[in-house]
Amino acid sequence: MPSQVVTAHTDARTIAAERENAKVLLKSLTIDNQRGNTDNEIVIQDFITISPYYGVGAPGTTTVERFKVQAIVGDMITLNESDLKGVKCLGAMLLDSDNIDADCDITVGYEHE
Amino acid sequence: MLELQPKAQFSVVIPPKLLQEGYLVTFSSDWPSTHDAIREKTFRIDAVNQVPYDRSFVLPESAVGTIYRDVDFSNGSGAFQESIYPEQQNSLFEVLLGFKPGNFLSHWYIPAGKSVHQLEYAGMYPVMTDNTLKYLGSRQPKDSPYDDPRIKLYLVKDLAPLIMRLFVLPGVDFEKIVCGLTINKCQMRIIEAPTEDQLLKSKVIRYYDYLRW
Repeated sequence: MPSQVVTAHTDARTIAAERENAKVLLKSLTIDNQRGNTDNEIVIQDFITISPYYGVGAPGTTTVERFKVQAIVGDMITLNESDLKGVKCLGAMLLDSDNIDADCDITVGYEHE
Repeated sequence: MLELQPKAQFSVVIPPKLLQEGYLVTFSSDWPSTHDAIREKTFRIDAVNQVPYDRSFVLPESAVGTIYRDVDFSNGSGAFQESIYPEQQNSLFEVLLGFKPGNFLSHWYIPAGKSVHQLEYAGMYPVMTDNTLKYLGSRQPKDSPYDDPRIKLYLVKDLAPLIMRLFVLPGVDFEKIVCGLTINKCQMRIIEAPTEDQLLKSKVIRYYDYLRW
């Protein structure tokens, strides 16, 4: 299972790029806000490129929120596979936050299905 | 503990899912005259080559049945054409198709607009905008799983366009539909005067119209 560490940021960070023949499953999420400077709302986003369909040649892209959790300053949140069951992204998996906080580390484990 | 396994009295041999080299195929007499090159003829498969090909489509949910994607397997540069038909007269493409799990259905048409799965009473054909009839004749992902595909297509040069219509069922905002194709390219050589035994052993490939008697 690949994983990636990012820090909280208001610009969504790409965790897993879209793979055309697979969905991206969220397998683990650890938010370490023990050293953080503020409460952070962490959002897993699904960046979807919609395929052309009848009557619409270029439907464009859209972003859907798939999971949201609040990490209070001083807290560490660990969510495992059973907590995250059913959270999947059809397109690229992104991680977004409502604050920029370089001291809030977020580790995301994922798999392509 | 010591155990002696008894010798098996019989074994079950599962035949290959795909046509193999040396297999025989016969195209039945119901093929139209536009397919004279293969109609009522028997061929030996001289070579095979399996080409895997995954296709995927992300579609919004279709609550009222007006959002769907037609996947046209025929050749061409159209937006919805997949171009997986043979271009040579002596080629037969045997295609296995399976779906990854998802919240969607597929309907099948050949040629465009004529459903493969319709019943005999008036109006008993798939209607995408009807909450009941959209399920008539539809194939679900579990009917042909990605790892154990059950939908099989036989494609020859200049066959009428075969259309797979995909739509997402209500209840999810979007769905990714992943279709796993294995295109078994078969090179055929005609057997000018097949024996009775060869005819009996050959796989009969009928024209699609027989599905709609």
